[in-house]
Formats: sequence, C-alpha cells, structure tokens
Amino acid sequence: MTTTPRRRGSAAAAVLLSAALVLAACGSDGDAAGDKAGETHSVTADNGTIEVPVDPQRVVTIGNTTLPFIDMGGEPVGVTDVSASELGLIPEDQRTTFEAGTSLGASADQIDLEQLAGLEPDLILAQFPESEFEPLEKQLGSIAPTVFWGLGTEWKAFADGLAQAGNLTDGLGEQKAEFEDKITRIQETYGEIIDDTSFVNLDRWASSDPGTFSIADFGCVEIAQDDIGMDFPRAAEGEDPLGWTSLPFEQLAELSEYDVITYPVDAEGRPTEPFAPVVETNTWKALPAVGSGRALGVFCPGNNSYGPVLQYLDSLDAALATLPAKE
Amino acid sequence: MSAVDFGRRVLVLRRRRIAVRLERRSVLVCTALAVAAAGLAVLALMTGSYQLSAGQVVSALTGGETGLVHDIVVEWRLPRVVAALVFGAALGVSGAVFQSLLRNPLADPGLIGFSQGSYTGALVVILVVNGSYLQLVGGALLGGMATAVAVYLLAYRRGVQGFRLIVVGIGVSATLESLNIWLILKAELEQAMAAAAWGAGSLNGVSWNQVVLGGSCIAVLLLLAGMSSRPMRQLELGDDAAASQGVRVSPARLGLIVVGVALTATVTAASGPIAFISLVAPQIGRRLARTGGITLAPAAFVGALLCLAADYVAQHVAPTPLPVGMITVMLGGGYLGYLLFTEARRRL
Amino acid sequence: MTALALRRDGPGTVKVPGPRRRLIGLVVALVALLVLLVLSVMIGSTAIAPSVVWDALFRPSADIDQFAIRDYRLPRTVAGLAVGAALGLSGALMQALTRNPLAEPGILGVNAGASFAVTVAVGLLGVRDIGDYMWFAFAGALVVTIMVLALGSTRQGQSPVAMVLAGICIGAVLGGAREALQLTNPEAFDAMRSWNAGSILGRPLEIVWPILPFFAVAIVLAFAVAGPLNAMALGDELAVAQGVRLARTRVLAVIALTLLAGGATAIAGPIAFVGLMVPHVARWIVGPHQRWIFAYSVLLGPILLLASDILGRVVMHPSEVPVGVVTAFVGAPVLIALARRKRASGL
Repeated sequence: MTTTPRRRGSAAAAVLLSAALVLAACGSDGDAAGDKAGETHSVTADNGTIEVPVDPQRVVTIGNTTLPFIDMGGEPVGVTDVSASELGLIPEDQRTTFEAGTSLGASADQIDLEQLAGLEPDLILAQFPESEFEPLEKQLGSIAPTVFWGLGTEWKAFADGLAQAGNLTDGLGEQKAEFEDKITRIQETYGEIIDDTSFVNLDRWASSDPGTFSIADFGCVEIAQDDIGMDFPRAAEGEDPLGWTSLPFEQLAELSEYDVITYPVDAEGRPTEPFAPVVETNTWKALPAVGSGRALGVFCPGNNSYGPVLQYLDSLDAALATLPAKE
Repeated sequence: MSAVDFGRRVLVLRRRRIAVRLERRSVLVCTALAVAAAGLAVLALMTGSYQLSAGQVVSALTGGETGLVHDIVVEWRLPRVVAALVFGAALGVSGAVFQSLLRNPLADPGLIGFSQGSYTGALVVILVVNGSYLQLVGGALLGGMATAVAVYLLAYRRGVQGFRLIVVGIGVSATLESLNIWLILKAELEQAMAAAAWGAGSLNGVSWNQVVLGGSCIAVLLLLAGMSSRPMRQLELGDDAAASQGVRVSPARLGLIVVGVALTATVTAASGPIAFISLVAPQIGRRLARTGGITLAPAAFVGALLCLAADYVAQHVAPTPLPVGMITVMLGGGYLGYLLFTEARRRL
Repeated sequence: MTALALRRDGPGTVKVPGPRRRLIGLVVALVALLVLLVLSVMIGSTAIAPSVVWDALFRPSADIDQFAIRDYRLPRTVAGLAVGAALGLSGALMQALTRNPLAEPGILGVNAGASFAVTVAVGLLGVRDIGDYMWFAFAGALVVTIMVLALGSTRQGQSPVAMVLAGICIGAVLGGAREALQLTNPEAFDAMRSWNAGSILGRPLEIVWPILPFFAVAIVLAFAVAGPLNAMALGDELAVAQGVRLARTRVLAVIALTLLAGGATAIAGPIAFVGLMVPHVARWIVGPHQRWIFAYSVLLGPILLLASDILGRVVMHPSEVPVGVVTAFVGAPVLIALARRKRASGL
C-alpha cells in the first residue's frame, strides 16, 4: 500500500458511512451475553446495508481489506495475494496470520469463486475497484454476506467499518486511543516547528518513470497535514492530487524554496528502493535543505489502518527530533 | 488463393431456392470439432475447486439440487461454458469475415482499431470516470465503434480499398495504444491492474444475463454473416469480378465490416477483448478443412473449441486463475505457428 | 503493435528525384537534426538561461542548474540521437528485407523478446534498476530473433514471409506469458508500466555508451547489404542472376536490424512507431534506393524522436509525456496522410 498512490477519500462518503455505522452499532447493542452464533446486525458500506453475523467465525478478506483486518487482530480463513514488499513491512505474527489463510487468487478479478465457496465463510470483506465489484456482487453474495468498500473510502471510516463488520471493535479502540495520544504528543513537542516551517514531501514509486519524482500529498503525509497540522503543499480543491504528476529530476532544483524536505525510507532508515535514485543525483546533493540536515527520511509502512500509521507517527517523531534549530 | 476447385467430393443439398454446397471434409471437420467441444464442455462442468460428484452435477442440471451446489453448476459453471462456446464462435466468424474481406490471412477486427478503441473507452471509464460496470461496457462499445468508424472514414477516398484500410487502421491503433499505455501508467496500481485484467479478456463472473443478451445478438449476427457468405466469396475474387457478377461492392463491403465488428463488439461488451481467436480460428479452420478460401463454419467451430479449451486451461490448469485472453494468445499462437511450419516445410 | 499485412501492393510509381536533390535533402535533414540537438539541450521542464547552458557545457561548476544540463538533458539528447537513428535504420532494413511496407522490427519478435526478458527479470529475479533491465532487454531481443531466424528457415534458406509469421507467433506466445506473469505479480506489473511506455528520460550516459559499439557494427553491416537488398527488391531470381547471395544477405540484414532494434529497446523500452514510419518518409523523398533510404532513415529517425521528446517535455508542464507515447501521436497523422495519397505506400 505504501508503494501505491492512494486517492483521497471522498468526505461525503465517509460521513455517510460513519453515521450509518453509529446507527448500526446502536441497533446491535445490549445482547452481549451468551452464544452469539446465528445472530446478525446490519452494517452499511459502499454496497448498501448488509446483514452480517454479530460474531463472524470464518471471514474471507479480498483486496485491500486483508492487511487492515489482520492489523486489528482478525484472522481471515481466505485471502487474496498481497505483494511481497507489503508483506515485508508487517510484523512477523501478522505475516503468520496472513499465511495461514487460504490464497484465493492474485486479485479480486481473478478470484477462484468455487474455492472461496469451499471455505464456507460466514462473512466476506472486500475493498477493490468498483468496476470489478458489480459483476461479482451476486456471486459473492450467494456465498456469504459481503461488505464492500470502493477504493475512495477514507482510511479512518474504512477502519471503523471494517472493525464493525468483522467484530474487531476492541482492537480498534486501543489503536485509536494510542493514535490520539501520539498526535497530541507530537503537537505539543514540536509546536513551534509545526507553526512556522514549510515542508514538502517527496516520493517515488516502482511505477514512476525513470528520472522522475513526485511531490506526494497523499498517503501518510495526509496525517501529518490534517491531524498534526504541518504545512505541506497540497492540490487545490477539486484538482487531482499533486502526487499524480511525475516531475523530471531537473525540477528538484526548484525545491530550494521549502525549509524542510521529507522523503520515504525503509524500516532501517535507508531511502526506499524506488526513491534511492533521487538521493543519488547531484541536484539533490546540491539542495540547501539536504546540505543543512533538513531533509528527513520518514518510514510509512501503510496508511490504510492504525497499526502502520502508528509506526509512521513514531518515525515522524524521531525525524523531527533531529531537525537543527532555525538560524 | 481462389476457392475454385474441381474434383472434390461435394454434398449438394437442395431445398426450394436454397442450395448449399457443403464439402464433405468440411462437414466431417465441423462434426468432429462439435463433438470435441461437447466433450470438453462436459469436462468443464465436472471440474472446479469445489468438489462435486458426477451425480451431483447431473442432478443439478436436471433441477434436483438447491443451494450452493445448484448455484455452482447452473449459475456459475454452465453460463461460463456456454459463454466460451458462443463467444468463441462469434470471434471466429468475425475474423473469417475480415480475412476474407481484406484478402489478408492476418486481418481481424483489431486491425481497424476496434480492440484498441474499446480498450481506450474502458480505460477512460475505469481510470478517469471511476465508473460502474455498465458504464464500462458502454465506454468499451462506444470507444470501439467510434474508432472503427473513424478508421473507415479516414480510409475512405472514393470507396474503401483494403490496403488503405489496413494502413490507416495501423496508424490509428498505434496512436490509441500509446494513449492506453499512458493512461495505465498514470493510474493507481489497483485500478491499473483491474483495467489490464479487463483488457486481457476474462470470462470470470459471466452470468446468464450476459450470456442470454450477448447470445441472442450473436445469433442474429451469425445468421446475417451466413447469409452474406455468397457476396463475401465473390468479393474475394476482386472488386471488378464481384461487380461483374452483380454484387454492389461498396454496400456489401460496408455491411460485412459492420457484421464483423458487431460480433467482436458483443463479445467485448460481455467479457473484454479476448485476443487472437478471430485471428487464428479462420486460419486453423481453413487448414483443417483443407478449403481454398476462408469459410465461416469451420472458423466458428474452431473458435468455440479454442475459447472453451483456453478458458479450461486458464481456470484449472494454470497455477492461478488467469484471464482467458492470455491463454488464447498462447494456445492460438502456438498452434497456428505449428500449422504454418508443417505447411511451409511440406511445400518447400 | 504488429504490422499485419503481408500482401505487397502494386509497385510504387513515385517520382524519383535526381542525385543532386537527394543530396540537398540530406543536408537539409542534417541541419534540422543539428538544430534539434541544440534545442534538446536548451528546452526542458525548467527554464534555464542560455548562458547557464553554455557554462554547463564549457565552464562546468557545481551550480545546481548546471547539473540539469549535464546530468539530464545532455544524456537524453545522446540517447534520443542513438535510439532514433537505430530505430529508423532497423525499420528501413526490415522493410527492405521483407519487401513489405508495413513491416517494422517489432514483428520479428524484438519487442516481444525484450519485454518478456525484462518482465522475467523484474518479476522473478527482482531486478529493479533501469541499468540492469538493459542487458535483459538486449539479450531477450537477440535470443528471440535468432529463434525466429531458425524457425523461418526452410531448406532453401530464409523466407521473409515465414520469418514474419514466426515472429508473430513467437511474439504472441511470449506476449501471453508476459501478461500472465504481470497480472499475477502486481510488483512486476507496477514496475513494467513505465518501461512499456518507451522513454529516453532518466537514462544516464552509462546506459547509452555500452550499446553504441553494437550500433556502429550494425550500421556498417546495413550499408554493406544495401546494394544486394536493392537487387532483391526486384525479385529473388533477378538478384541471384546479378550475383547476390540471398541467404548471406538476409542473415546479415537480420543481424544488423536485431542489434539496432534490440539496442534501441534496451535503452528506451519499446517504441513502436519510429521504425515503421521513418523509412516510409525516406522512401517518399528518395525513391527506391536502399542506400539513400538508409542514410535518410538514420537522420529522420532521431529528428522524429527528438522532436517528439522536446514536445513531450513542454506539452504537459510540469510533467512530461514519455517519448514513446508522443511519437505515435506525431507519426500517425503523417502515416495516414501518406496512405491517403495514391500508391504512396508501395515499395
């Protein structure tokens, strides 16, 4: 997920979704005791309001639901493939959980429906492109209740919905509290820096043309921007995200106008593989921010669930601590 | 390469005003292909990751099962098998029409930009509009048709000459191909992969709705193609020769192009562009039936068998389920290559 | 893209200009190419003053703007020159060899081989660097062309039609395998997306230099077989009567065009259109003389490629459009206009 430019979620959808979830949650309260098997409640997602088991036992995750579901403590019985580089970024125990699930195909459009039916799931959680869902909707629905989100869903609303449908609200609650905690701490510690520093976040992905980079305004940087309040350049309302535009290396020279540059690094602090060519250019080395220690490597293992986001906040915290005082 | 041949055993069926001359070998080949396709269809109904006994399959087909077993056999496997057969036949005939029309063994509707155009339409819907499945189908059809019309008009200069049509088609296709590559390059990974999987042509998730709707369009079009096989054969002899036999060359050619493109368009709408069947099925059919020119029936049967076999391989033989279009390319390409070389070796 | 027409159209009746006009045309093309080379260094997605460009080339310092000239614009200009010339000449060789005006190097399986090899390298071997792709692409192109040559051989030698058919079949099989590999391996798919577009951006000189000796050898070979190919245009029997050794000519021509097209693909990725249309324009100007067609193609190829590349730098500012995308947009209208002229496509 970190390797992919992610479209910013539509706010309206997120609001609707959250409202629906609150309603749904109210409806299912109060019968915690005893055997929940067979009981259902309704959740609302991009494919409408769905009756799902209160305590699902055999969950299949398709597309982008897999890793966030595991991150919240879920154990899917069937999954679609996740790329090796994404698997490399998650904790060992989560990888074991992933590998315990039966692989149903490379991606949603190539899923083996019969194998999926053979797993006899009681809940299917899915996030993949809308255009692929429509032809599959009926078939998935005939196997088990299916909750679907399109790619545009905002990550917090997505996490809420996933936890609600998958009966993982306890795990989510802990993560949320930790998230709020870290945000507050960063805001308090670096208040001055946050207020009067102009940042710019660069990225490069495996799909980027050779010799190009992007000013990325989606992914983890949205959290630095929206939740912490740091000043990063962003696209005007209604425009495509800046990160969709790949810029040739010669435009690196124009980054001199920013105080601090952030760029993606791996867990060990080295520039990510796709970004390494940028760091090797002479133009990068000649940038004032780079020369004065104001280019910060930040680790972003994913931005679709709280676990990886918490790791990002730790990394951002550590990076900001190294920033030399302003002259 | 004319179709004139004497001294062959020929079956002549006369019934009122219709006289159909069927070469005996063609009939035999078509029957054999049909039997093979039927056998493969039975095998495809029996095979799947969800284990079912032969009894369960038969009872599901005769209405004796309910629930998941009924769904798997009647709602999933059966429409897919029927779709593979019908769509394959449509593609085979579509290719046969184009190869005969352009008198070129390597022509297919893709040549006049239909495939690239429909891919462009689909990409715009998936990547730019982020549209629904119906919009995707609409976009693909609109893109393909618009491109085909544009190529036809650009190639029109006091009539359409086959060679000019090919060159203009290549130019327009190349431009659209560039555009497609660029659209894919600019998209998010998940969207781009979805688009590429659609572009490869897949029968995954084909339902009865698509089969019934597509199948009836195809049935009408196949009938039209069958009725125009006589002017088609006369056009093969050249425009002047055809005109002297009373064929109105330009309307006949336009009509054949429309039928050929419409066949491919119907399949594309239901399953994405399934590559290569329209290119190789007529050639394989011609070689199996040992006819001089391109004939429609063997192309249709080869297309159906090829498509079903490819889908079987894509689903059950490949290590992971794949879009059928990738397998048609490999199977069709490999088999055509084999035929060409045995033929070339024999002749030289 | 594959050129699918194997049928020859009637012989062209293009007016043949005299040697004087051909020479003048060649000089004009050369001047146009030099102008484009200068423009290619001057114009980019950032505005850099001509004096800085001059200093960057002749009075180098560590100024940040100078790096843009020396590290990015100069290498891509060299790459554009080499790739354009190689594609143009390989297309001319291909069309002369197959006597088919719609043949382009891609149909001998060069692109299919290169793409397949790069996909295997990326998907199965985990190669990620553009400098490493190069050798896979080159090797893939060479291996597939040799296979095509072998399969296209009959007892009488190499038949151009059989070679083209072999190229299409092998291309189809490898293409399907490549696609299957990519769609089941998202990371390979992702990394291959930009390579597929064909670009000369971000290719440092270290990638271009090692290919140049291959190009030099191929250009010498091409001009050596130009005479025999001229004779073969009139038919194999006439050529044999004139003392042309068919098999040797064909093998040398295939070697030359594979080195050229394979090398170009290794540097830039698959760029389909240049090899197809440049020889057409050359033939349109000089008539059916292979040596002249070759010389013009060597100049017109980089003219088309550099002009497209410069256009691609400014048309979507601040982003760029890969040159492989632009060439078809620039080239297709020219090809269609040519096709609408009477008999302009004959050989």
